[in-house]
Amino acid sequence: MAHDTQSMRIVMIEDDEGHARLIEKNIRRTGVTNDIVPFADGTSALAYLFGADGSGRESMGRALLILLDLNLPDMTGIDILARLKANPHTRRFPVVVLTTTDDLQDIRRCYDIGANVYITKPVNYDSFADAIRKLELLFSVMQIPGAEA
Amino acid sequence: MHTFSTTVTRRALLMLLAAALTLLGIVAMSGWLAESAREFSGAVGRTTALRVAAGTLLSQLQDAEVGQRGYLLTEDRRYLKPYEAAVTAVDATIARLHDLADGDADELRIVDRLAVLAAAKREELAQTIALMEAGRRDEALSVVRTGHGMMLMDDARRSLADLITPADAQLDSQLAALIGQVRASGWVANLGGLFIVLVVGGAVWIAIRYTRDLMRAQHAIQALNDSLEQRVSARTMELQRANGEIQRFAYIVSHDLRAPLVNVMGFTGEFEAGLASVRAHLDRLPRDGGDTVASEARRAVEEDLPEAIGFIRASTTKMDRLINAILALARQGGRAMNPEPVSMRALLDAVVASLRHQAGEQRCAIAIEGLLPVLMADRLALEQVFGNLLDNAIKYLDPARPGRIVVRGRADEDRLLFEVADNGRGIAPQDHERIFELFRRSGAQDRPGEGIGLAYVRTLVRRLQGDVTVESVPGQGSVFRISLPKALALPSEAPAHGA
Repeated sequence: MAHDTQSMRIVMIEDDEGHARLIEKNIRRTGVTNDIVPFADGTSALAYLFGADGSGRESMGRALLILLDLNLPDMTGIDILARLKANPHTRRFPVVVLTTTDDLQDIRRCYDIGANVYITKPVNYDSFADAIRKLELLFSVMQIPGAEA
Repeated sequence: MHTFSTTVTRRALLMLLAAALTLLGIVAMSGWLAESAREFSGAVGRTTALRVAAGTLLSQLQDAEVGQRGYLLTEDRRYLKPYEAAVTAVDATIARLHDLADGDADELRIVDRLAVLAAAKREELAQTIALMEAGRRDEALSVVRTGHGMMLMDDARRSLADLITPADAQLDSQLAALIGQVRASGWVANLGGLFIVLVVGGAVWIAIRYTRDLMRAQHAIQALNDSLEQRVSARTMELQRANGEIQRFAYIVSHDLRAPLVNVMGFTGEFEAGLASVRAHLDRLPRDGGDTVASEARRAVEEDLPEAIGFIRASTTKMDRLINAILALARQGGRAMNPEPVSMRALLDAVVASLRHQAGEQRCAIAIEGLLPVLMADRLALEQVFGNLLDNAIKYLDPARPGRIVVRGRADEDRLLFEVADNGRGIAPQDHERIFELFRRSGAQDRPGEGIGLAYVRTLVRRLQGDVTVESVPGQGSVFRISLPKALALPSEAPAHGA
């Protein structure tokens, strides 16, 4: 069963408070009003996504879009991405990788594992805001599926 | 080592020389001995012949006397036969004795005396026989009875003994001398042989010892060599590790520096957006010049704050460019080299073609000259090296004269040498090393750029196991020289960085 776009939640895993704030501001500016659930480290994000037992049953029936930074203090975003894509309850959540790296190897790796979009955080603010705002298009186009039982 | 070997060689040679001299002495001794033996055998032969001849003479004289006595007793002429034979043979025997005694005065005197005695005896015999034949037998017998004949015979016997005895004595003394000589020669041969054995043995021992020392030295050198290789490879590994760490460090630093920069930029943007709304609000208020607070706020919003934001923007943009340069260098340092056969001719043609537009703008000619071989190297790195060098050459041409850039290549014994030569503005001598450092530039800062290109070139050339140097005269031009191995060896290298 498909959820409608409004019931979707945005999970933002980003350790840099400033980046988190900028991302949120720009998302809001595009008119997106969905809930944003922020996490500043990998451990708490994993606890939210997979539950205390790590099974992922917690996310059954949820509609989530995940904004993922690759550089986290306690783990790399790639580990989180791999776990998300390996778990039957979470693997259909769209994942947007946001990072300062434009290393081709990293980008290729993320797509290989199953990232839906890879966005480099540009220092140029306008392009950064642009990139975030384009997510709005993504939200409206994408059917966010709930995890199937 | 050298002096040691020469003394050893000299000592061994001296020993062998001594052995050879000893051998020569032994040979000479043998020769002398042989000569003495030959002389002795000659003497033995002569003495024997002398003895035989003496015996013969005595027997002939006795034969003659026997024949005479027989005739005198029997008057039978048959008895005269031995007499006659003996009497004629005596002369020949005496001549023979004379020959044998040749050279010895004593012997000659005895032989002469023998000849006189023989002649006297013959005369006595002939006298008695003649008397007998004349029928005066009594007279003949009385001649015999005088004892003259017997006395002559006794004298002859004595003389013969005188002749033989000294010869025998001489022979004895010669034999004694020969025996002494043989004994001495035997000693010489034995001692000499022993000496030769000792000397040759010593030389052999020295040679063996020397060879053993050489072997030991060689082993030591081999061991040193091995440990040297081990140390070199250990050091190389350390260097590679350190290099990898520096690259990881550069990567992390540049990466982590970008994160706060994003914030600075982002919130500057927010600031700007906020400022825009304040400005819009101020624009709607009436402009009455009396209020200093209001006019100051207006000036801050319209001039000071936009200026400050402009500086922040410019600085962050520049900082971003620098960080990106470090990042690119770090990434280049960490990128795995991929050796493949690269035709330098084709590669340079392609690089030059990509710069044609720039070159045309500067009205500059680019020529490719010389032997441009195929080498095993990383194609991308080579493209970037020559692309950067040619780009620089075009960028720093002297506007006062038409530009001319030449790329040359030649093969050395085991390396390939390339040159990128230009007639541009040149580089001051104190900057020849500096220009290869990151963010350092030379001369008038009138061209765009961050001072990254040559640092990048050097990093890449080193990764290609080569070296890059510059030679330049300000105002005349520069030559960048690159030496590369003919084939890029792949070191076992740890990947430089993770995510």
